[in-house]
Parts: sequence; structure tokens; C-alpha cells
Amino acid sequence: MFEPTISEPMTWIQICERYPDEWVALVEIDWVNDRDFDFGTARVIGHGTRREQYEQARAWRSRYESMGHYFTGKVQAPLTPLIFL
Amino acid sequence: MKVTRFDPGDSLIIVHATIWGPLGHKGLRLAFDTAATQTHVVPEFLDEIGYGPQHGDRITSITSAIGEEPGYMMTVSKFSALGFTETDFRIHVHDLPETLGIQGLLGLTFLRRFNYEIRSTEGRILVERVSSAQ
Repeated sequence: MFEPTISEPMTWIQICERYPDEWVALVEIDWVNDRDFDFGTARVIGHGTRREQYEQARAWRSRYESMGHYFTGKVQAPLTPLIFL
Repeated sequence: MKVTRFDPGDSLIIVHATIWGPLGHKGLRLAFDTAATQTHVVPEFLDEIGYGPQHGDRITSITSAIGEEPGYMMTVSKFSALGFTETDFRIHVHDLPETLGIQGLLGLTFLRRFNYEIRSTEGRILVERVSSAQ
């Protein structure tokens, strides 16, 4: 079992520096607008693999109705198309 | 006209979206993909807002970057991207490689409701709703 933890408010640059190439679960996201991935600060409630950060975030589900789940590394485009239909 | 910014240095055009479900709403990042007929979201994400295979109404099978993948179609109560919000929006649920760093694709089921202009070197997408879709 893990102990639920929550970070201090951090900028996206600070989050990327502390959790490089990890998935992070964020709450209290101070969005700049309703379109861009831009915010002032947010608190981290989970980090690690995609599955790990979801699992950690569940401990906070009753407190936070709104969360975000993002990858701090560079997006890796595959050499082949993502989907063949 | 609404303007959404993206990082022109990324290998894909990545935009932010929000999906609402029975357990709340969550933000995610999707690849803007005019070659995708559907809007795709990974199942793990939907589990966290209270959706699951029981909400699917059609089983699907697709060939993706990680091989033949089972999936399903379902309707989410609310979906928002590029500054526009749609209710009762249908999505295709299936897995994508975790290493991509995205949780799905923003496809034509959403994009065809708008006129848009992608200004690649500026990292901007200009979007306006098509009047007949309002």
C-alpha cells in the first residue's frame, strides 16, 4: 500500500523537472483558458507509469472531481500510422 | 473563431481535451488526427471517470501500432476540445501504447463539426463551428 501524497503547487516546467518522462495525475489545475494546455500551477497526486498514477489518483477521487493525467516527456510518434481502419 | 495553441516541435499535433463521466471530469491530451475517422480514447482513462465496457454498445476490432486491438464504441456525457463542448459524444475506446505519451486521437467525428486551419509553424489551430452543426 502507498501513502497518498500531494505536492505543493507547481508549474508544468517544475513538474516535468521533478518527474521526467513519467505520467502524472494533477489536481487544482489553474487553467489559463479552456483550449490550451497552459496552467499557472497544479498539485501532483500521482506519478509513474500510466497505470501507477491512475492508481495513486484514486485515493483522491472523493476530494477532487476534476483531475488531469499527462505525460511529462516528449510525445513519441510511431513510424507507422497509429491506427489502420 | 477560437485559437488553440500546440507545440510545433512535437512529432504530433497534441491538443488538450476534457471528458465528463459519472465520477467527475478529467483532462487528457489527444493527437489531432484528420486521418482518424473516430475519436479514440484509451480504456484506462475512461475507467477513472466511471465508464467501462458495460457502457459500450458495439464491439470493435482495429489494427493499431501495437497490433490487433479489441475495443468498443460508447457515448460519453460531455466532451470538450479546441474550446468547444459536445454532449452525448460518441468515442471509440481501445488501447494505445503508453510510450506515445497521449491518451487518444481527436478524429473526424469531432473535427468535421468545424472549419479549422492548422498553422503548423506558428503552432496554432484556428477553429470555427460550422453553422449547420450548431
